[in-house]
Amino acid sequence: MQYILSKKILLIVLFLLVSNTILAQKTVRYDLYVKDTLVNFTGKTKKAIAVNGQIPMPTLVFTEGDTAEIHVHNRLKESTSLHWHGLFLPNKEDGVPNLTQMPIEPNTTHIYRFPIIQNGTHWYHSHSELQEQIGMYGNFVMLKREDDPTFRKGIDDLPAIPIVLSEWTDYKPENVHRMLHNASDWFAIKKNATQSYAEAIQAGHFKTKLKNEWKRMLAMDVSDVYYDKILMNGNPISEITNIDGKQLKAGDKIRLRISNGGASSYFWLTYAGGKITVVANDGNDVEPVEVDRLIIAVSETFDVIISIPAENTAYEFLATTEDRTNSASFYFGNGIKQLKSPQPRLKYFEGMKMMNDMMKMNGDLDDMGMAMTLNQMDMNVVMYPEITGDTKSKQDDKDPNRYNANALADIVTLNYAMLKSPTKTELPKNAPVKELRFELTGNMNRYVWSLDNKVISETDKILIKKGENVRIVLYNGSMMRHPMHLHGHDFRLLNGYDEYAPLKNVVDIMPMETDTLEFNANVEGDWFFHCHILYHMMSGMGRVFTYENQAPNPLIPNPKLAQRKLFADDRKPHFMADNDFATNGNDGMAMLQNTRWSIGTEWRLGYNDMHGYETETHIGRYIGKMQWLMPFIGFDWRYRKMGIDEQEENLFGQVNKKDNRTALSLGFMYTLPMLVNFQAEVYQDGIFRLSLMREDIPITKRMRAGFMVNTDKEFMADLRYILNKNMGIRTHYDSDMGFGVGLTLNY
Amino acid sequence: MNVISKISALIMLLFSFSSCNAQIQHTKMASVKIYGNCEICEKTIEKAGYVKNVSKVDWNKDSKIATITYNSNKTNQDEILKRIALAGYDSDKFLAPDDVYSKLAGCCQYERINKTAVTTPKVIEDHSMHNQETVVEAKQEVNQLKIIFENYFGLKDALVKSDGKLASTLAKDLLININGVKMDKLATEEHIVWMKVLGSLKSNTNKISTTTSVDKQRIVFMDLSANFYDLFKVSKQETPVYYQNCPMYNDGKGANWLSKENAVKNPYYGSQMLTCGKTIETIQ
Repeated sequence: MQYILSKKILLIVLFLLVSNTILAQKTVRYDLYVKDTLVNFTGKTKKAIAVNGQIPMPTLVFTEGDTAEIHVHNRLKESTSLHWHGLFLPNKEDGVPNLTQMPIEPNTTHIYRFPIIQNGTHWYHSHSELQEQIGMYGNFVMLKREDDPTFRKGIDDLPAIPIVLSEWTDYKPENVHRMLHNASDWFAIKKNATQSYAEAIQAGHFKTKLKNEWKRMLAMDVSDVYYDKILMNGNPISEITNIDGKQLKAGDKIRLRISNGGASSYFWLTYAGGKITVVANDGNDVEPVEVDRLIIAVSETFDVIISIPAENTAYEFLATTEDRTNSASFYFGNGIKQLKSPQPRLKYFEGMKMMNDMMKMNGDLDDMGMAMTLNQMDMNVVMYPEITGDTKSKQDDKDPNRYNANALADIVTLNYAMLKSPTKTELPKNAPVKELRFELTGNMNRYVWSLDNKVISETDKILIKKGENVRIVLYNGSMMRHPMHLHGHDFRLLNGYDEYAPLKNVVDIMPMETDTLEFNANVEGDWFFHCHILYHMMSGMGRVFTYENQAPNPLIPNPKLAQRKLFADDRKPHFMADNDFATNGNDGMAMLQNTRWSIGTEWRLGYNDMHGYETETHIGRYIGKMQWLMPFIGFDWRYRKMGIDEQEENLFGQVNKKDNRTALSLGFMYTLPMLVNFQAEVYQDGIFRLSLMREDIPITKRMRAGFMVNTDKEFMADLRYILNKNMGIRTHYDSDMGFGVGLTLNY
Repeated sequence: MNVISKISALIMLLFSFSSCNAQIQHTKMASVKIYGNCEICEKTIEKAGYVKNVSKVDWNKDSKIATITYNSNKTNQDEILKRIALAGYDSDKFLAPDDVYSKLAGCCQYERINKTAVTTPKVIEDHSMHNQETVVEAKQEVNQLKIIFENYFGLKDALVKSDGKLASTLAKDLLININGVKMDKLATEEHIVWMKVLGSLKSNTNKISTTTSVDKQRIVFMDLSANFYDLFKVSKQETPVYYQNCPMYNDGKGANWLSKENAVKNPYYGSQMLTCGKTIETIQ
């Protein structure tokens, strides 16, 4: 890994660090220089963003009572911003471009200045575009004052190591985002999680796969993106042998301040040296609780204590992605490295079976009477060999504990019901209560993520009044888990500890769970409330809370323009295209899609007049939560001489001049069970056409099949072998153009 | 069809090219010690170290020396040794996870000379601290028993998992630590109880360590838990310990055990009846 490090900057930073200590308790200033950089995590040199020459961004340390003054110098060729995650601050310092400030333009400096009025482990990151994925995340630690009445001896005075977790992909994040929207299964191939028919048959799960496709689901997974490397403080492997110059030895305890700065990955945290004691979550103290492992949601923070049990040994602290394809290690101690067993691979077909049972035919989820909340019932346990064994589960469907990890195995897994605040967290008693309900909605096939089936650009800001207690009930009706994050406030997560309910600013909510959170509306401003999975947020999964009659934000001179720019994020269309260069012609399509709209053109171009040339263009709008229905208007053109399969009369007896035809049409497309697309259209000359089509039937890990038949008595069948992300070998038979073999390129 | 035959010829050519090429490039070699016993070990070690065209390992069971050949552009010695350790075999750089080691076949249970037993430094430093104040000493004494308490909980967890091999390994550790307890450093009450239970404590632990049959271990574990209950009663605890009872075991006469968690995880039946039982006493 090489960072481009300017000596000058280093000097300035050093000087600043020195001046910090002199000026302690007062204003603490940091200068952050944001620059393009090149990194090499995998053997390939790639573009990234470094701040003060490093990834992650430098750890910023303050003590409660300080004033933070952070100068952000944007040396990029694009705009940027920094959001202080989990901090209580004036709205204009919150760092959301086009909402709380205008973006920091290239070669300008923006100063964030706010008092530090809380303590705990937090972090900061860019809120602009997808910059967080390529390096713009860092720790933000606010120390407790020693005279604080909540100072905990044996916890707050332990040596502490800040750790920020993240992931790295060699693909450009814009490309990752585009691939997700285009339902590319390349990531599944990389993870060895295609869940094809051949694999299903091998695992004895053919029926499961069939039922899954009958219910119109694509292969399931616990996360969307495959990453090349997992990083802790910027490295896949780190070692700590001493802290503050003191050698680590047996019996030592260390506090880890862990933030998940990953763009879309949850991480399992496990430790080779015994139990992990959780002492704080999202920067707020909790009563210490001992666990064997915990999962940290995207953007959550946990403070944990680990100890070193024996001399001459370094113990592995392991962060493993939720899909268990990759991990990063941190070794604590001196000597031989004691390893921790890796998390075993997921049993995907068990997960598929579970999803089949939960999914109703109309796309709604059915919790079968289990009131699920606070991560206590984890449906994913059916996929965890360490909880449910290596082979097929033979669990009783009536067992109320069948998804309770802590009842099924001797491993203690943290869940939100185990978090208890050491101090009372009740809200003001006599304040009026405003209750809001949101259903988290989405569909994986088209990668649309929303609240109540509406994305940010389709909704107004939600008005709240200063002083009232806002209670939010969240129900997750989508098939993925979502870490929902509220800016500028901590909320109480109602988890059965009544007045000692823990304070958080991120709540991870699994499919079918319902969670209730509440906060006192005490700082005016426009506050973002969104899913913190970067690609979900950019797809529009969020809302903005705003206070009634609040003063205008001086940093937003033109609110209309700012809003339009904010909305542009989820309105952005995604482009995809492919073409098969075959022996009998070119077969391909290009499509531009966003949340609701789709413009697509398909073509079949022969090499001579006998094979013919044809294109079909559709402009359509997706309807409904699952977006199975798309009405469209179409335009067809074709030309052919003496075709090999002369069919001029369709099944309805209508004569269809195929050899030279230009026509407009109206129609709709509907996704049938088994993911078969049914298309019906009527042309301006009254001719009907119905067709059935299915693409990308996963035969094996890399083999895909497809077919098409229509009432014009045309048909096509194909078989494709995926070579890499953008290339495949395809063979097909087409009623117009005959047999062909070719190379498919796709984007 | 001409095109197809051309393509297939091309593919054939590519295949033959890659097969001549199937060897490790940028080769580096190293000899390292890997602990193990027998032919089964050899197979496991070499399989864990092998990655096509990247690395291969040749282990000699007599000398315990492995010859590692690898492409230094694609991997390094640590990565290979880590994979081998994750398959259960210690080297001088990595220790295998305990659960993986305990799952190795009986003949593969090599002696783990690189593993340092879990102790707290305060006990080790005992000699140099003879003249310290009694308050400090009292603290150390708690720590002395604390180690074997932790061993006991580990053993209990192994039985919850119905893992006889692991239980046997952990019992060996426990026995070492029992022998290491310095009686004269114990508080008076602890000393009395310690003297009373020591004989049976040792023999019970020994019995568990010499068998890998979970059923046999569980029978002895009843008595061992009784020994420990006496010790826990007189020893000061930092965190509460839960005395729990399974009413069914031992032909319905019931059996007890101690746990750090209030939630019941039954060591006598394991996953068969994991949550069967209840807490009958909380020792503070």
